[in-house]
Amino acid sequence: MTKKKLIYIILFLAPFAFIFLSLFVGRYPLSVPEVARILWGKLIFSAWGLQDISTTIVWDIRLPRAILGALVGGSLAVSGAAFQGLFRNPLVSSGILGVSSGAGFGAALAILLFNTTSYIYIFAFCFGGMAVLFSFLIGKIYNTTPTIMLVLGGVIVSSVFSALISFAKYVADPYNQLPAITFWLMGSLASARYQDIMVAGVPMLLGIAGLIAVRWRINILSMGDREAHTLGLNTALSKGIVVICATLATAGAVCVSGIIGWVGLVIPHIGRMLVGNDNKILIPTSLALGACFLILVDNLGRVISGSEIPLGILTALVGGPFFVYLLKKTKGGGW
Amino acid sequence: MPLVEVSNAGFGYNGRAIFKNINLEVREGEVFCIVGPNGCGKTTFLDCLLGLLKLDQGDILLGGRNIKTIRPPDVAKVLAYVPQSHQKTFPYTVMEIVLMGRASYTGIFSSPSPADISIAEEALAIVGLQEYRNRPYTQLSGGEGQLVMIARALAQKTPVIIMDEPTAHLDFKHELTVLETMVQLVRNTGKSVIMATHFPNHAFYFENNDVPTSVALMDKLTFSVIGRPGEVLSEKNLKSLYRINARVVSYQLDHNTEVKQIIPISTLYSKESERVN
Repeated sequence: MTKKKLIYIILFLAPFAFIFLSLFVGRYPLSVPEVARILWGKLIFSAWGLQDISTTIVWDIRLPRAILGALVGGSLAVSGAAFQGLFRNPLVSSGILGVSSGAGFGAALAILLFNTTSYIYIFAFCFGGMAVLFSFLIGKIYNTTPTIMLVLGGVIVSSVFSALISFAKYVADPYNQLPAITFWLMGSLASARYQDIMVAGVPMLLGIAGLIAVRWRINILSMGDREAHTLGLNTALSKGIVVICATLATAGAVCVSGIIGWVGLVIPHIGRMLVGNDNKILIPTSLALGACFLILVDNLGRVISGSEIPLGILTALVGGPFFVYLLKKTKGGGW
Repeated sequence: MPLVEVSNAGFGYNGRAIFKNINLEVREGEVFCIVGPNGCGKTTFLDCLLGLLKLDQGDILLGGRNIKTIRPPDVAKVLAYVPQSHQKTFPYTVMEIVLMGRASYTGIFSSPSPADISIAEEALAIVGLQEYRNRPYTQLSGGEGQLVMIARALAQKTPVIIMDEPTAHLDFKHELTVLETMVQLVRNTGKSVIMATHFPNHAFYFENNDVPTSVALMDKLTFSVIGRPGEVLSEKNLKSLYRINARVVSYQLDHNTEVKQIIPISTLYSKESERVN
């Protein structure tokens, strides 16, 4: 019991620790007292402008980036865990209903048409939401929404939007637009500013909060429609809440960070190995782990080579071997 | 007032009738067995009872109220369901599974309370699995898994439990464990059970144990006969229901216990059949 409590306390504090530690990571070396001085100054005497280089680096570059990383990682992991439960399938990730490919196409379209970041966010978010809506409508062909039809809808919509992404790349100007699209699709937190956090943070936080609120219901949904209904659930309503919240969180994350795979698939499993399958505990655990993981990977991406390595690449390169290690260590946690 | 009352129920898919004119009444402390050949519509009928499908004709009343007017969580406070085959996905612990029986008592934004946990613990104790509470339910045997499903239904605290083939795939011992648990429940807690089964002998088992039991034979789209097992499960009825030759035998276990059983002998047109007739 005490060991469990200790794990929860560590999980709760870990994202804050990771945000703090990432303030020291980067090309420009900073000492602990220096960072402490800057934070102290900013938090207490915010009007008192000390705009030297280190302040800018800590307060305007590294801190927003770490906070955004925590939000994005947490959103992807939580919605992945929720979808795995809802679809009763451990191989599902946050993009299952097409939100990632929809958002990817939205971003590509915005790059083709306008090439300013604010339009990219709006287009990515709207197309991501639209893709999920299409999946839902396809799933509703038989009037009810059996889970398997939703998945099928997601698969269809994802592949259509992937084709549209390819088409956008094909017609893009190969010197400016094509690289922009390609880099966007690989995912990055490099452009993180406080405005981004304010804008994209709203759907992310709403989605996360909603999923945390209904997290125990996900256990029951994972028994399948039949049993969930006989256990007394209004299955359509509960499923709707989970899908909407997970979509808000994922679309919010994808629109600022691009497509970051792997987090929504694997972090929930790492959570299962640590705390078990009960979504009551698993959802908050995934939130903490996803946040830490993405901050960690983003820091790695900044340090290990001369130029930044896109996040989508590193999440898989770091996450894959780590996952295999955990599988071996915990013997799969009862699968 | 009967706990469950079905009058003139009918249901079909795309105009093809699955069943019609079904009537039944289930009272407190009673076992109601539905017996019939494969594909006769037993499961579809149970789905209608549970509110998973809507009847085309007729009405289902739960404690006098029409099921159409009752919200899902309130139906789940009257009828609990033990599925025929439960598809296991995530390795939840036994306790986590049993707690799911409390869903209809838990608000959409909340989780089970300590009171719910003690109710789930009681339910586990009734089926004798309290030792297993922290085991992943995916690692249990078929019989134990079925008992966990029964415990989950018990945690629902309903007057009626609906079971679809509760002993499918179980060996003799586990089959008896499940049946004994059911007898205990009906006797000690006054619960009623509606079950579909492929083993008419189950109806005899309950009758042999002095549990008030009714059997309905589901044949030609409806309940052709309803009554006590001793009357309904006759050699003649079994012949027309399953197209088999069978014998109903009785064995005097001691002076006040008589055990009745059906022995299936042959299909109607086999070689063996000539000898029996």
